[in-house]
Amino acid sequence: MIETIAASRCPRCDIVVAPPATYCPHHPVAMTPATLPGLGEVVSFTTLHTPPTGFRSPLHIAIVELRGGGRFVCHGADTRGLKIGARVAIEAIDNVYYFSHLGAMERARLFWRRTGHAGDRVNAIARSLAKRVWRSRTVNRGE
Amino acid sequence: MQPVFVAGVGMTRIGRRSEPLPALMAEAAHAALAEAGLEAPEAIVVATMNPEEFVGDGNFASNVATHMGFAHVPALRIETATSSGAAAVYTGFAQIAAGLRRTVLVVGGEKMTHLATPKVSEIIGRSIDPYERTYGVTMPALAGLVSRVLMARQGVSAREIAQVAVKNHANGARNPLAHFQHSVTVEEVLESRMVADPLRLLHCCPISDGAAAVVLSAERATVRVAGVGHGADTLAIRHRRELTSFAATRAAAREAYAMAGFGPERIDLAEVHDAFAPFELMSLEDLGLVPPGKAGRATLDGDTALDGRLPINPSGGLKARGHPLAGTGVAQIVECVLQLTGRALTRQVPAATHALAHSIGGLATNNWVTLLERA
Repeated sequence: MIETIAASRCPRCDIVVAPPATYCPHHPVAMTPATLPGLGEVVSFTTLHTPPTGFRSPLHIAIVELRGGGRFVCHGADTRGLKIGARVAIEAIDNVYYFSHLGAMERARLFWRRTGHAGDRVNAIARSLAKRVWRSRTVNRGE
Repeated sequence: MQPVFVAGVGMTRIGRRSEPLPALMAEAAHAALAEAGLEAPEAIVVATMNPEEFVGDGNFASNVATHMGFAHVPALRIETATSSGAAAVYTGFAQIAAGLRRTVLVVGGEKMTHLATPKVSEIIGRSIDPYERTYGVTMPALAGLVSRVLMARQGVSAREIAQVAVKNHANGARNPLAHFQHSVTVEEVLESRMVADPLRLLHCCPISDGAAAVVLSAERATVRVAGVGHGADTLAIRHRRELTSFAATRAAAREAYAMAGFGPERIDLAEVHDAFAPFELMSLEDLGLVPPGKAGRATLDGDTALDGRLPINPSGGLKARGHPLAGTGVAQIVECVLQLTGRALTRQVPAATHALAHSIGGLATNNWVTLLERA
């Protein structure tokens, strides 16, 4: 299942931003609600070795451009093998967004929106990966 | 507009200081006032980014004014994140240009080395978009995100970036007031520990205490403020139209050159905001000092070294001179004035008549360009 990301659109310049904003960042115009699919391409990423208090170290952060426009900031399990332009899926765990790198097979399946056993298996893999990240994050926070 | 001149400059040594912030500011201010031959200015503009959290005191314009014995001189505080110093100079400039004041003391400074680095990073991070901050984004993280694209999409190399730090340390070694006065090698830069991939420790400016001051005046002096420009861009990095160029710098530069009536080709030296080494390369192009795509090459070729055709950061820049936050924008102008009046000691750029100071606020949300010329 592809995550739906809440966003907003500017009626003047058509820019889409996520999460939703009251006013367009570039114009004094009220934005209208929109949604974006939780799929996109990596614009940039970094691994922060000096994260702020309360975050695990090292901290992987990415800017992802979602399909339909709109750039999004999120965490990741790691950035090994990640490249600018890589296709990723975005998933929310406890209202925190994570990206997971899509392999060629998953990309193809998601693109063609195949459902059924194969689609379920891909979703299950993506979910368990995201859950693993979430668990290790809360362990490191000492919760 | 009334022409505005720089009547005096002053600066403390930048680094780990034990004196409280008002004392640091007073040290710089007294030096500037003495040079200007003034006992008291008509007005004061104070720049300090976050004294409430760094030192626990607010209403800082009044705090410093009272400390110095100027409780009855009108004083105001200006803040535009890390470019507050430049913004304060602009404010003083505007007061004189508009004919409201004849003399203005501008003093900028910060005190933070007494706090642990994570705490300092957190306080500086208040300048970042609140949503992005919930993802642990810090200034180095934003700079890392920008730098990765700069290297991958614009072909800027690790050696070009490292050379910026090497050059600025070499310059800092000639500056008795600089935070760091030792040189570093390209190898040391490339082997220093990773901070925010691909940025390493020696790509990043230090945490510094210090203050700098200028006295601006309507009375003729050797150095005139020829132009000032102010540019702005979105707070959130995800809302930016592009990552490898700062629109706020380009807008500020355009406005400053237009006011001054000359362009980048007249500039003999520039103090550029190298909070992170790659920002110097980006800024050289955003300021029109170097053609697009050529900043790395110019740095490796030595064009921007002290003995090059366009010395950049002769003071040592933020990297080696240090970065006392709101003090930096004023410190850059102090360096420009010292250079234009032949007082830059062993880092003197010969026959300099036109200088540029470039200051970045936050992650380039609030940038300034100030142009100075020998009248």
